[in-house]
Amino acid sequence: MNKSLSILLNKLIRSRAGKAKYITAMFALLLAVILLLMAVQIQVNFNRLLSRENTRDSIANFLVINRELTDANIGNSRLPDSLITDLQKQPFTEAIGTLEASRFKASIESNSSRFPFYTDISFESTPSDFIDVNTTDWHWEEGNTIVPVIVPTQFLDIYNFQFSISQNLPQLTPAIVKMIVFKITIYGQTNKVEFNGRVVGFSDRISSMLVPGSFMQWANQKFATTALTNPSRLIIKTKDPSNPRLVSYLSKKGLKTDSEKTRFSKFRRIIDMAVWILGASGLIMLIFAILIITLFIQLTVTSCKPEIILLITLGCSPKLLNKLLMKRFFVPGLLLVTVGTFATALLQYISYLFLAKQQISIDSLLSPYTLLVACCLVILISVANRFSIMESMNPYKKNSSNGRKWVSK
Amino acid sequence: MFSLKSVFPNALRDRLFHRQSDVWNKDVDFSTNSYTSLVAPSGTGKTTLIHFLYNLRNDYSGIITYNNQNILDYDSEALSKIRSNEIAIVFQDLRLFPQLTIRENISLKKALGKQSVNLSIDVMAECLNISHILDKPAHICSYGEQQRAAIIRALAQPFTYLLLDEPFSHLDLENTQKAIDLIHSTCTENKAGLIIADLDQNYYFPYHQQYFL
Repeated sequence: MNKSLSILLNKLIRSRAGKAKYITAMFALLLAVILLLMAVQIQVNFNRLLSRENTRDSIANFLVINRELTDANIGNSRLPDSLITDLQKQPFTEAIGTLEASRFKASIESNSSRFPFYTDISFESTPSDFIDVNTTDWHWEEGNTIVPVIVPTQFLDIYNFQFSISQNLPQLTPAIVKMIVFKITIYGQTNKVEFNGRVVGFSDRISSMLVPGSFMQWANQKFATTALTNPSRLIIKTKDPSNPRLVSYLSKKGLKTDSEKTRFSKFRRIIDMAVWILGASGLIMLIFAILIITLFIQLTVTSCKPEIILLITLGCSPKLLNKLLMKRFFVPGLLLVTVGTFATALLQYISYLFLAKQQISIDSLLSPYTLLVACCLVILISVANRFSIMESMNPYKKNSSNGRKWVSK
Repeated sequence: MFSLKSVFPNALRDRLFHRQSDVWNKDVDFSTNSYTSLVAPSGTGKTTLIHFLYNLRNDYSGIITYNNQNILDYDSEALSKIRSNEIAIVFQDLRLFPQLTIRENISLKKALGKQSVNLSIDVMAECLNISHILDKPAHICSYGEQQRAAIIRALAQPFTYLLLDEPFSHLDLENTQKAIDLIHSTCTENKAGLIIADLDQNYYFPYHQQYFL
């Protein structure tokens, strides 16, 4: 369509249906787009927080599981192979790892007289994929005299905020603790071996003194005082720790996990509800906005009936008029989705800055899913416009050829 | 080429059935490159026939073919192409867009079709003495001025047939003659046929055929 023809046709096909209604509909559409995109983005942000690996944000999707101790099973807390295999098959289990406990006696003590301490200790090990500390120091091989250790964050908190105060000892930062080298002594049946231990990280996820698997296997093989048995604790990776099927499975099998996860699942429900409300409001607004725009297109076509009839009489093709109307109504729709997407991107960036101050890390940009939904909205608006224009123009198309008798004037 | 085979308008059946006619209920051909005059008093179907040929109405018995195809078989897109590139028309009731200027009315029709070799709008307007109203809205122009604008609008597009329905009804002799000269020269340039419907027998053009409805 050449430019002058387009200008002339635009001059003729003018809406007499009231611009205020159209502007209201477009505003509603903009709001609907923002609400919908925000709902998607919040869901994505939340899922990212749940599934992020090796960060402190990911506490929710790893669960340490053990038997619930009762009078009946006390002293028999081992988890049988059948239960581990069954748990592995469950749809909510993404990965499963065992926590291998030390089967030898061990102690740790200070090398320094300035911080004297001594305690008997036990260790656990688990595959690296399940540990929320990412460090290159996390390895051990036979012959190494230094054993890396990961300590629960709670241990340091207990020391700093209880023990050090009551014993009049200095408080320690994680960096200082990592610099302290202590002595680990392992006792066999007849002998003992000493190593130097060093804390390489702090875990929020697993409340045990962790050592590398290679060290644990070597030490158990060499110094075990009890026979190899099934593990007492497992760690599973799951997408959604608040999944009711997971909770019900654990309860049915007499297993338990820590209450931190339950607390987190409450947040999950609140966020789910907020996302649902946002999405539903956006969807309802979108439906209404599209209905109003559809109605507006039909009113425009109806109000321009004499012009459209004369244009077709003079040889203007209905296809050309469809194209013109499509351009007239689709371009503002496209523009609105673009503006809505930018507004959502801005909100995401502001949230990123705000949450970064709260030590919560989300992406600063919109997710591909959000952009995909924006594209789907463009397609939806385009289809709704096309359908509405075709419906409105259909009688004229029929009249232009061999349809009903035309009214001459 | 237009061919009419036993065409009879349904709406005028009672009035025209017993009347002698060269066209109604007869087999007639309107060939390209020939000038045809249709003469008839009011109410005998001049405008009706022009509308049948232009495919605006289909309330008739018989068959009208254009280029050997029943005109009722053309779909809307094909019909648009024919109307914008092959058949030009001056309606008896002119049918200009009142809200557009005379120039816009003509330009719009011209832009709908392919590029034509015809004279420019300004030259044709000069020929018919309406240069001064080219940029005025159509609704404020006199009927005579609008009629000349409608003639120029028809001549501005490429065409092989020109349908004229009482095209000079509101023109004085001088303007009629100027319009005739412009139409004749443009038809010659386009090697186009012409079908004119008028109330009285006339000698506006060198007709090849003359029919009484």
